[in-house]
Amino acid sequence: MSNRTGTTGKTGPNGPGGIPSRGAPSCSMSRRSFLKGLIASGALATLPCGLLLPRNASAAPFSKSDFQIFRNACPRNCYDTCSMVTYVRDGVVKFVEGAPESTFTAGGLCVKGYSYPRRVYSPDRIKYPMVQDGRGSGNWRRVSWDEAMERIARKLLEIKEKDGNLLGLALTKYSGNFGITNYGVEGMMSSLGYTTRLVGTPCWPAGIDAQNYDLGDMWCNDPEDMEKSRYIIIWGANPAWCSVHSMKYVYAARDRGAKIVVIDPVLTQTAAKGDVAWQPETGSDGALALGMARHVLDLGLVDRDFVANNAVGFEEFAAYLRGNVTVEWAAEKSGIPADDIRHVAEEFATAKPATIWIGYGMQRHVNGGASVRAIDALVAMTGNVGKVGGGARYGHLQTWGFNYHAMIQKAPAGSTGFTGKSGPKGEFDVTAGSAAPAAYTDRALNINKTAQELLDAQNPPVRVLWSSCKNPFAQDFDRNKMLRAFEKLEMVVSVEQFFTETVRHSDIVLPVTTLFEEWTVNASYWHYWVSLNEQAIAPLHEAKSNIEIAALLSRHMNRLSPGSCTYPQDIDTKEWMEKEFNKGVYDLLGISHWQDLRKGPAKAKLASSASWSDRTFKTPSGKYEFRSDLCASHGHKASSPTWTGWRSSRRNPSST
Amino acid sequence: MTTQHASLPKKRAFLVDVERCIGCFTCAMACKNYYHQETGVVWRQLYPLDEAIYPHRERAFYSLACNHCENPACLNACPVKAYEKREDGVVVHHQDRCIGCGNCIRSCPYGAPRYNPVLKKAEKCSLCHERLDAGEQPACVQSCPVRALRLSCPEHPAW
Ligand code: SF4
Ligand code: SF4
Ligand code: SF4
Repeated sequence: MSNRTGTTGKTGPNGPGGIPSRGAPSCSMSRRSFLKGLIASGALATLPCGLLLPRNASAAPFSKSDFQIFRNACPRNCYDTCSMVTYVRDGVVKFVEGAPESTFTAGGLCVKGYSYPRRVYSPDRIKYPMVQDGRGSGNWRRVSWDEAMERIARKLLEIKEKDGNLLGLALTKYSGNFGITNYGVEGMMSSLGYTTRLVGTPCWPAGIDAQNYDLGDMWCNDPEDMEKSRYIIIWGANPAWCSVHSMKYVYAARDRGAKIVVIDPVLTQTAAKGDVAWQPETGSDGALALGMARHVLDLGLVDRDFVANNAVGFEEFAAYLRGNVTVEWAAEKSGIPADDIRHVAEEFATAKPATIWIGYGMQRHVNGGASVRAIDALVAMTGNVGKVGGGARYGHLQTWGFNYHAMIQKAPAGSTGFTGKSGPKGEFDVTAGSAAPAAYTDRALNINKTAQELLDAQNPPVRVLWSSCKNPFAQDFDRNKMLRAFEKLEMVVSVEQFFTETVRHSDIVLPVTTLFEEWTVNASYWHYWVSLNEQAIAPLHEAKSNIEIAALLSRHMNRLSPGSCTYPQDIDTKEWMEKEFNKGVYDLLGISHWQDLRKGPAKAKLASSASWSDRTFKTPSGKYEFRSDLCASHGHKASSPTWTGWRSSRRNPSST
Repeated sequence: MTTQHASLPKKRAFLVDVERCIGCFTCAMACKNYYHQETGVVWRQLYPLDEAIYPHRERAFYSLACNHCENPACLNACPVKAYEKREDGVVVHHQDRCIGCGNCIRSCPYGAPRYNPVLKKAEKCSLCHERLDAGEQPACVQSCPVRALRLSCPEHPAW
């Protein structure tokens, strides 16, 4: 292969890795002619190839019975949420692999998943509770769990005394461990009283809102049915890096003749594998989708039956397109040539079924939610909603119907809290639709403005920050402001596996378990498999799970001030995992007991691999809503998908 | 893109479909996950084929371990017969016989044998023969999420 370009052998297979370079092309060529010469002369027989006798060396064959085998699940916030199999010998994780029972995981993990056996035994793991004398100083010293928890408990009681409530305690947590019992961290906060929460989601909220307006819920087709698509647009997602297991369905579709279009401002690895790669201006996705919709309209390729019988507001949307959108306009905004837009739009509208995978990047812009609505509309008007191999795929929470037992905890009697207008909510807001509004609530701060909100919070200010399943210094915005915000804090507690940037700016760090060291259960927001996560090894060092930490804090709180925390003081992670299951989950998965998951992950029993296959939508009208009055009533400017331009401070792409 | 098993030699060999490979490094890490080699000792590596080598706009990668050659240079170069070629084609390195002279490392055109600085001996991909003998796929082949890396194996055409 290197012969083609005549490289020197410095790069490519022979070069890297500290192997003495042989200058591949020339040497291997001369080698080959040398061997040919030998064969011709019959001299080959004299070479030590006599060793080529069948001796059939074998080590003892691999045997599963040499191992204890456990079920695990990858808990990182990843589309693939792999079902794992863990091989343990003498109490040590030897290796992991993907569960073969899941057709999605199909026996393999990704490069990160395969690094877990090293991660759990890393010498860099946080091994015991530690206190840093001077934040950022690096003067860490080991303390006992009791000392650490007593210190935290005393501080919480002190600020409660001072402020008359616990709103001075704030929690920042997101998706560092998606095991369901880890929602017990929120539960720990509730069990202490009303606290301050950094809530909302840094990830995908605008798109969820968009799909709620259009369809009534965020509910994607089974990704495994992508192989039945005749046309796939991967719009702002990069599965070759971020959902490696989905790529096989994309390839399967292509092997069956489907065309793959990848739309991303960056020429990603997925784009490199596509048939068409578009690199539009960032944030122009909505305009591009509307331009495609206009062309579909002009060609008369609208699915008339769907828009007439299963949708509302199509005519208004069509009028908007005719009045405000042209393909040339979309081309100007996006930088994609008008003819290319026409071509792909026509192909998309005529291939049946056709699907669009909507990534999360585009909705983190001005017009974000509206861009997702525009793409939904393109999928819907071409009759691809509710179809196997079709659909506007964004995500789903169908398999997340757990009890959230660890999360739902009661405030101690007599707790007081926040009384103002409540702020944003996370995607797992189980209080939604509950009866009478409580007299007090938690104080919600916007997670997407963490630094500013921490600086601004008053009466009381945030005094103590608890960080778990998250690394605000790496994941939140404006690091310099975050430094200032942290200066205001009287105590920072980090629950972590490693010394992250946030730990560096903490007073106390508590070592938390990895997936191998606790019981829990995991679901995906993309595929439909649910996996048990068994405790495969005893926790290393002094690590505890999030819920065990909560129980220990409760013990110390109640010792110092009886009744100050309602969290159970002794918990077993296995029992708590069991408490997350209910009949709904069992029925959906077609199992009768969680123990069934020890035999392998289970997939939701779906009426169809297509979401919305009965065309009954959860919108107020029960139909697909090109026009959403709900959207307008929530204060958005337009009830139909529109595109209103970039924010004014943005450089104008057409002027460059 | 389809596998033409019939036309392949009856020996086991890796098949790498560069068109499918997404460069995810999973295969390389799956090997490390299974054998826990010393730091820096890599049996399967993924090589980005940069423009100098692979002059296309797309990105391409090449996953490479030991090729278990028909006529193994390592075996030919080893002075103590630490190498052996099994009937099924697997080239086995017997580390217990290895004296760490490095001849194989210098001779292999693919950079497959590596020097283990702790044991002061060579080592390389075993084609997971202890797994093959138990009817299991090699760890790397099993791990590839897009079946870009496969094993041509007469007994298991589906691999
Ligand atoms: S693909 Fe995602 S879920 Fe699977 S092992 Fe990798 S990070 Fe974990
Ligand atoms: S066959 Fe086995 S030893 Fe060889 S590269 Fe693959 S995993 Fe490693
Ligand atoms: S696992 Fe497969 S796709 Fe990933 S780098 Fe290896 S050969 Fe390529």
